[in-house]
Amino acid sequence: MNATNASIARDRPTIHTAVRRADPQAPGAADFKPKFRIRALNFYYGGFHALKNITMEIPERKVTAFIGPSGCGKSTLLRTFNRMYSLYPDQRAEGEIVLDGEDLVTTRRDVSLIRARIGMVFQKPTPFPMSIYENIAFGVRLFEDLSRRDMDERVESVLARAALWDEVKDKLQQSGQSLSGGQQQRLCIARCIAVQPDVLLLDEPCSALDPISTARVEELIAELKSDYTVVIVTHNMQQAARVSDYTAYMYLGELIEFGRTDEVFIKPKKMQTEDYITGRFG
Amino acid sequence: MGASTEHISKQFEADLGSTRTSVLQMGGLVEAQILAAIDAFGGGDAALVTQVIDNERRVNGYEVAIDGACNHIVVKRQPAASDLRLIMGISKIVTDLERIGDEAEKIARMARAIHEHGGHHAQRFPGVRHAAQIAVRMLREGLDAFARLDAVAAAEVLKEDSAIDQEFTSVLRQLITYMMEDPRTITPALEIVWVAKAVERIGDHAKNLAEQVIYIVKGTDVRHTAFADVERELARE
Amino acid sequence: MSAVPHPAGTAGVVHAGNRLYRSRKRVNFMLLGISGLALAFGLFWLVWILGTLLYEGGTALARASLYYQMTPPPGSDGGLANAIVGSLLMVGAGTLLGTPVGILAGTYLAEYGRSGWLASATRFLNDVLLSAPSIVIGLFVYSVFVARVGHFSAWAGSLALALIVIPVIVRTTDDMLKLVPNSLREAAMALGAPVWKMITLVTYRAARTGIVTGILLAVARISGETAPLLFTALNNQFWSTNMDAPMSNLPVVIFQFAMSPYQDWHRLAWGGAALITIAVLVLNIFARALFRKTD
Repeated sequence: MNATNASIARDRPTIHTAVRRADPQAPGAADFKPKFRIRALNFYYGGFHALKNITMEIPERKVTAFIGPSGCGKSTLLRTFNRMYSLYPDQRAEGEIVLDGEDLVTTRRDVSLIRARIGMVFQKPTPFPMSIYENIAFGVRLFEDLSRRDMDERVESVLARAALWDEVKDKLQQSGQSLSGGQQQRLCIARCIAVQPDVLLLDEPCSALDPISTARVEELIAELKSDYTVVIVTHNMQQAARVSDYTAYMYLGELIEFGRTDEVFIKPKKMQTEDYITGRFG
Repeated sequence: MGASTEHISKQFEADLGSTRTSVLQMGGLVEAQILAAIDAFGGGDAALVTQVIDNERRVNGYEVAIDGACNHIVVKRQPAASDLRLIMGISKIVTDLERIGDEAEKIARMARAIHEHGGHHAQRFPGVRHAAQIAVRMLREGLDAFARLDAVAAAEVLKEDSAIDQEFTSVLRQLITYMMEDPRTITPALEIVWVAKAVERIGDHAKNLAEQVIYIVKGTDVRHTAFADVERELARE
Repeated sequence: MSAVPHPAGTAGVVHAGNRLYRSRKRVNFMLLGISGLALAFGLFWLVWILGTLLYEGGTALARASLYYQMTPPPGSDGGLANAIVGSLLMVGAGTLLGTPVGILAGTYLAEYGRSGWLASATRFLNDVLLSAPSIVIGLFVYSVFVARVGHFSAWAGSLALALIVIPVIVRTTDDMLKLVPNSLREAAMALGAPVWKMITLVTYRAARTGIVTGILLAVARISGETAPLLFTALNNQFWSTNMDAPMSNLPVVIFQFAMSPYQDWHRLAWGGAALITIAVLVLNIFARALFRKTD
């Protein structure tokens, strides 16, 4: 939008300038840098065609939410991003998932190297059966050889980032499983960011938590997005609206709509999206 | 826009339906108020004036009730997309309708004051009635557009606002001439100016209503936008 | 009574005099009574066995000479020291031989062999071996090992015991590892851990009480096995810690002394039997307490 047009429009603003001035971050705007480029992704559980021809881009350093009814494939899609399906022989993917220039589906590199850059938090908190300190050190020790002091610092800094340090600083040697649900989930998030990934994948991280813990985790996500690309799967639409910058609506394995969260929730483009969001489903 | 199916929650569907119906009822009442007030302006019927002033309470009651219903829906349903736009739009429409009701009441009061000084002054200025008719038409078409959720019809309403402005300017000029010819007519003439101004404001509120209908249907906020751009925007989709 | 459901109490159907309710109560009481009687019956025998063991073997257990004197010839005073030591050595060796094999095989079944023919075939064979008569194991080790080598030995005994230990530990390890939730494995893999680290550092730690309990139960099982030792370690009247030679052990000593006509040998046999029983009891209780503690 060059300067002459802007000055002309200033006296009698058109809808277009009003929209663009209020919303400099529409997809396609300079702010949207794709972290993941997915092209024609198809996914199978044995013979079942779970993801159908998904093509989308996940923006860097933003929160993207996947929403949709049960069985629509949002968790399946999330788990392709860190090749979690490789653990199970009857699951396979076809197509492209390009992360920073590397296609994750066909790469020859060791998968654990990829996974070290992508953190994942699951629906049910999964602290390891070790002390809180060890939980965090586990991931770090896989790829780094830190002195005791450096490790202490790393543990403290990620626990502080996860808003958990004050609550556990006096009991780092206690089992991770002795914490409450909300604390466990924050511990899992701290464990993820301790290995300094680029991407955080959150699979319904608040489903098993009470509202206050949920609010704390959401607050944490809002703080983390300045440094990490976050993708969150949620069945709670209000959470998607609160937490995300971009939203993808999926149904029966297909991507129906993808756009800025404000637009998807105020003025969705597809009738299917509208029906789901307003509770007209079925 | 508008649903191909109903909400899964029947209660929600019913709440939205009853709120929309209330808005239309309020609109109908306000329309009747304007017509009665303008009749009183022209004919000086004191009973009509009292009736308009009494009904103003009902108009205010509608505003409070509908806003309460909207709050209830927001709390209960956290509406999104078209439902959200509907509730936000209704909230603003109701404000405009209530203000139209206020203006109608003012017209009625001034009509009573004018006819106490002698009603013949009002007959000299048919432009006021003419403007009022345009305003009522704008309101009726806006409410129709709301009932049918028809953005194109709502856009038509926006066009007519300039007609009222023109009528107002011409009446003002006539009144100035009238006052200059005979200074004894200044008091009633000024009253007529206020009535004309009230009619002009009614037209503005009706325009606002139509703008809200466009927002509800299309999701585009066309307030403070030139009409040509509105047309272009609507044609785009 | 109408067919249309009423809220409770309004039709007056729910009260203590209701016919269906009363017959239900009768049946309940009868079945409770029958299962109580069955329980008493079972407990009766158990209590009798334990009581008899403690009564008959109690006097022998109380004498300190049981623990430091060797098995005597008939008529002289003695103890069970060599048998106790022999049992400890062979049970220990058998456990040490069998546990690693059992755990690793169980790990394979649980972690790598989720599907595929090898895993299910292995599980099936393991279950067969689990219920194989121990005398068959003993004969097998005799023909394969003892006959070849030409003499009985404690190593042969340990080998036979190890062959009994392995299927038990494979089974318990497999079951305990399968109880570890998959999400824990995925969480470790998601951090970039290689599979073997995930297994050793995370899955084993999560299942460790269960696995240890399995080992303890296997030890309890082989403590009392007689038949395999008959053909492999035989017996030894004297003190010996030479694994290459026949070694004394409690089950065979009990067998020998109980079949004899000598009173003092009988007493020693009762003492040995009570000793084994108490040891197995203590191990079981310990295993159970351990498992419950971390649950």
